[in-house]
Amino acid sequence: MKTELVKMDLDMYYKKLDNGLDIYIVPKDNVNSIYVTLTTKYGSIDSEFVPYDRTGMTKFPLGIAHFLEHKVFEQKDGVDPFTFYSERGCDANANTSNFKTTYLFSGTNFFDENLNYLLDYVQDPYFTDENVEKEKGIIEQEIRMYDDSPYYKLYDRILHNAFKIHPIRYPVAGNISSIKKITKEDLYTCYHTFYNPSNMFLVVTGNVDYKDVINIVSANQEKKKFKKYKEIKRKVYDEPDTVSLKEASTTMDIEIPKVGIGYKIRNNSNVDINKFRTYIGMFFDIKFGTVSEFNEKIREEKITTLDLDITIVNTDKHVLVILSVDTNKKDELLNKIDEELKDIKIDENDFNRKKKVKKSSVIYKSDSIYAINNKIMANIIKYGKVITDEHKFIDELNYQELNEIINNIDLSNKTIYTINKKD
Amino acid sequence: MKYKKIKNHTYNLHIIKTKKFKTVTVQVCFKSLLDKEGITYRNLLINVLCQACSKYKTKRLMSIATEDLYELTYQASNYISGKYNVMCFDITFLNDEYTEEGNFESSLDFLCELLFNPLIEVTHSSTKFKKDNFALAYNLLEENIKTIKESPYYYSKMRLFEIMSPNSMHSYRSCGDIDTLKSITPAKLYEYYLNMLKKDILDIFVIGNVSEARIRSAISNRIKIRTIKKKSESHFISMKRTRLLPKTVIENQDISQSQLALGYKLDKTSDFERRYVLNVLTYILGGGSDSKLFKEVREKNSLCYSITSIGVPLQNAMIITSGISASNFKKAVALIKKNVKSMQQGSFSEEDIMKAKVTYINSIKELEDNPQNLLSMYTGIEYLKSDDIDGRIKKISKVTKKDITRLASKMHLDVIYMLKGAENED
Repeated sequence: MKTELVKMDLDMYYKKLDNGLDIYIVPKDNVNSIYVTLTTKYGSIDSEFVPYDRTGMTKFPLGIAHFLEHKVFEQKDGVDPFTFYSERGCDANANTSNFKTTYLFSGTNFFDENLNYLLDYVQDPYFTDENVEKEKGIIEQEIRMYDDSPYYKLYDRILHNAFKIHPIRYPVAGNISSIKKITKEDLYTCYHTFYNPSNMFLVVTGNVDYKDVINIVSANQEKKKFKKYKEIKRKVYDEPDTVSLKEASTTMDIEIPKVGIGYKIRNNSNVDINKFRTYIGMFFDIKFGTVSEFNEKIREEKITTLDLDITIVNTDKHVLVILSVDTNKKDELLNKIDEELKDIKIDENDFNRKKKVKKSSVIYKSDSIYAINNKIMANIIKYGKVITDEHKFIDELNYQELNEIINNIDLSNKTIYTINKKD
Repeated sequence: MKYKKIKNHTYNLHIIKTKKFKTVTVQVCFKSLLDKEGITYRNLLINVLCQACSKYKTKRLMSIATEDLYELTYQASNYISGKYNVMCFDITFLNDEYTEEGNFESSLDFLCELLFNPLIEVTHSSTKFKKDNFALAYNLLEENIKTIKESPYYYSKMRLFEIMSPNSMHSYRSCGDIDTLKSITPAKLYEYYLNMLKKDILDIFVIGNVSEARIRSAISNRIKIRTIKKKSESHFISMKRTRLLPKTVIENQDISQSQLALGYKLDKTSDFERRYVLNVLTYILGGGSDSKLFKEVREKNSLCYSITSIGVPLQNAMIITSGISASNFKKAVALIKKNVKSMQQGSFSEEDIMKAKVTYINSIKELEDNPQNLLSMYTGIEYLKSDDIDGRIKKISKVTKKDITRLASKMHLDVIYMLKGAENED
């Protein structure tokens, strides 16, 4: 099926294979490279579910999706994917987020072999007690590396304190004690549950012919047998609307204290969740982003030297907006933010300018095979489909609707985390 | 893609005409010989110029202007390139075709406002940068310099160079230093700025689908500098070898993971060795997930998550970095030494060399897909006399095993540095 990606001067081809694998292809002939991602809809939050061979809910150690990502690279015949791709001059990698795990490569040559190999190594796991044990030391170092970053810690703790039961409150990589509990058997169980083609999708962007991609993937998949796919039952969390902990702090070996505020917001309106998330993002961007008067004020008053950083995390029910910055004057900053939020009105000109910016971003994105691929992946994970006409979506954003929505959200529901300087 | 360099006595204009992108990228680079104080001056100057100008008096107004220009993005950086200090300002914006007629000129106007019409105050005795804006820029840089330790990886790399070549150009911190910062006043910085406009070597790069005539006229109407500039020298500056035995330095910080950094100095090397052989060598040794160090230190011994070897061609050096547990210090260092020795002894295969070359060639081809990468390629050609894409592919193909072992034998371990954190013993 062919669909136009509006205002991007690109077409997207889609095909669902008999085994359930979804394929998305966006050919772009004025570049040299091709970027391929193979994703399973399995991330760090999927820690409790009904495994493919059982009937009851089972809980797995935190960080197992990320651990599995590391181990999928292990191959029985000894040729590991890094060597394979390096021989062909390609970059290969993988990553795990809260919601998905992605295996990828990019390069200019040997496309057929590379694509076949990606499907082959991801679809042929090989875990042993020994190779699972070996990985624990490596992941422990990865976790410690994150622990030493104050910004990562701030983000991690705010998520933890904002949510009470939803597993998004735990780090993607788990923690040092949880990963030590992971066994070979656990990995196989998670693998067979989530790495079925029906729970996966492939995105190819770059200098390719869409027919070639479909032929290569179809031929590859026809040769393989998969376990019968059973709709995955994930645990549903009845996450309360209030934050779990209102305020907390720690100390680190840093020069300037860091503070973050997480606003946990529930969609109480009639607009769909995607639009709701967009409005919330626009509101905070206008109030506290680079063009806000607020940032100018706090810099002039020497409360901060940098603009506030705005990060947004979405779960099925909630939007968590995190404002964070370095400051020596935490209390003043928090008061100013509270004061600013008492007046929730925003200027219509700002709103319209942000719409213009959003439209330009769509065009910018269309120049990069990485940005296009990432957009498709993010859309599928977030919305369950690819938004092919983003300009239409942006056009439908409405100033009145934004105001109504903002009037109905509870901005007092927040969690504050501070990292102080160690004495 | 068509490249053309137009020489002028005051600046060089580099036009890279291509239909590949919907964007146009313009970079303006000021280059001067490296001096320690200059680094801090230039970092502060970037902050002053990028936060406000005479037309857009605050950072907020500046940001609004960029949004009005269909989300133009601008950034500035100051980096050390061998014995030179390069300060770059660049903007990326959508071509007229995707916005409106004249967006090219309007975007250039924005850049020129920022560069040539700064926010100043004139009194009867002097002209200087406006105090309030200067203070904001000052605070920002002060915080940058102070927080460098908060990134243990960068901090350990910086300390490694300081210990390898103390009090030399190699030890200069690219973020600048507090003592110099304290000595800078709005008047002194303004004087530095005027001097920079007058004396720095100036290069302007334009990438995109815009005609040469239009670019030439737009640039010459806007760049009003008329002074004749000196010719550039080579950027290369070799580290002096003084130590016979490596020096071990361990410093403490309250962190969870310790940062290990090993510095190697090289004997006299040829241009070919630094540009090409070093590349193949560091790729095989610690260039990626298929390298010797990755396989041995990470995969076989589970000592780390990341380990990398990095060539520093402009300073004739190579470094190896890794994040480890402090208790594994000796084991990790021994394994690294063993693998460097195996490079010197030629314990690697023709396939290893092939992989390094194919990866290099692939990455060179990908350069053309992205305007920022193209920019760094053309600045490399201008500043470092790098070869063009075809030249690079030809020369990398010529690297032999003998070349690699010869270069490896020129490497001498100079400093073993660890920024030591918790012991983390089980």
